[in-house]
Amino acid sequence: MPPVPAGDAVDVWWFDTRAETVGPAGLASLDRGERDRADGFLFPADRHRYQVAHVTLRQVLAGYVGVAPRAVPLGREPCPRCGGPSGKPVLLPAPGHSPPARSGRPPAGPGLPAGRTPVSFSLAHSGDMVVIAVASRPVGVDVEREARGCVCSLAAAFHPDDRVRVGSLAEPARHQAVITCWALAEAVLKCTGEGVMHGTGGFPVLSGLDGPGLDEPGPDGSRPAWSGPEGTAYVHGCALRRLPAPPGYRAAVALVAGPVESAGRHPADPSPLSRPGTLGAGRGPRRGGGSWRAFSRLTHAGHQ
Amino acid sequence: MSAAGNPPAGAAQGSAGRPGTAAIGPITDDLRAILASVTGRDELLHIPPGTALFGTAVGLDSLSGTLLLREIQWRFGVDVAAEDLNLDSLASLGTLAAFVAERVSP
Repeated sequence: MPPVPAGDAVDVWWFDTRAETVGPAGLASLDRGERDRADGFLFPADRHRYQVAHVTLRQVLAGYVGVAPRAVPLGREPCPRCGGPSGKPVLLPAPGHSPPARSGRPPAGPGLPAGRTPVSFSLAHSGDMVVIAVASRPVGVDVEREARGCVCSLAAAFHPDDRVRVGSLAEPARHQAVITCWALAEAVLKCTGEGVMHGTGGFPVLSGLDGPGLDEPGPDGSRPAWSGPEGTAYVHGCALRRLPAPPGYRAAVALVAGPVESAGRHPADPSPLSRPGTLGAGRGPRRGGGSWRAFSRLTHAGHQ
Repeated sequence: MSAAGNPPAGAAQGSAGRPGTAAIGPITDDLRAILASVTGRDELLHIPPGTALFGTAVGLDSLSGTLLLREIQWRFGVDVAAEDLNLDSLASLGTLAAFVAERVSP
């Protein structure tokens, strides 16, 4: 069982949904709401992605909190913006112990015993990739597939400062910058629990970064003037940074307060989740490479 | 499923005669094309009007959803959700098409 990352550390788990299968035990770990939601998809590929993401989430969290995947007490806080039901997904504490701040509602059903290290998590998926971030403070993660067409109209949803910075780039570098900017903003809004449904333009994510990380050269070799080393921004009450992502994807992670520091691939991952294989009921490891399945712990200790 | 989410076959033609209201059918087709374009998924060209856009059904993510609304604004001049995606008009493909049809300049 991996220890819950302490302080500014964030554990990041990546899965390629093409390389994962979901067995009966995995499906049985989902609750009624998750199964209903899976049943609601029109296309099998969407259902598979959802099932992989949520079975994996339960497996990963089960490892941190020491309960069976189906017993992981998932719930949601109210939205801190509007009080609606679509706030931050959380692990529910035991009945009688209110979750910290914001939530005025007692948790429904079983929860985790009080007095243990709090576990915050965030789940994102895009295209074929699933990413899960785990920390001891509220955390938000987002992954987005890179643009395959023009996404310039999306920049209208950004804060004016970010719109200007993204707009200063030539296409197609601008398209990828738009995707990165979105991932940064969504990571922050998932960290706070507001989500993107109330808008993504309330704060700039690029101007807060010393080095915004949008520093890939364009096809002509040019780099934006504000290019710089990867860094941590402090935005909307969160420490924000880009996250190394599989080829063809952009990702970001945000953590409430304190810095999120540099990334290092964990050399000796103790969890069987780091090995390609079947989720849920046991089938053997899959043959064939090409899948992106990785675990890393981001810490202030630097690259490992 | 609301009536607007799954309009009867004759509804589009009927509403087309009202001033300021465009035909829902062609707009629904246009929205399908935009959906397929912003997601890169051709199978969305054939989804029924009652299909939910967000949450489950087609699994439209927030980036694609926002891009869809921006493309609608660019193409039809209709601002569906300037700042807030929590709108009844976004319940399904059909409700979104009806919303656009009522506001687009014929």
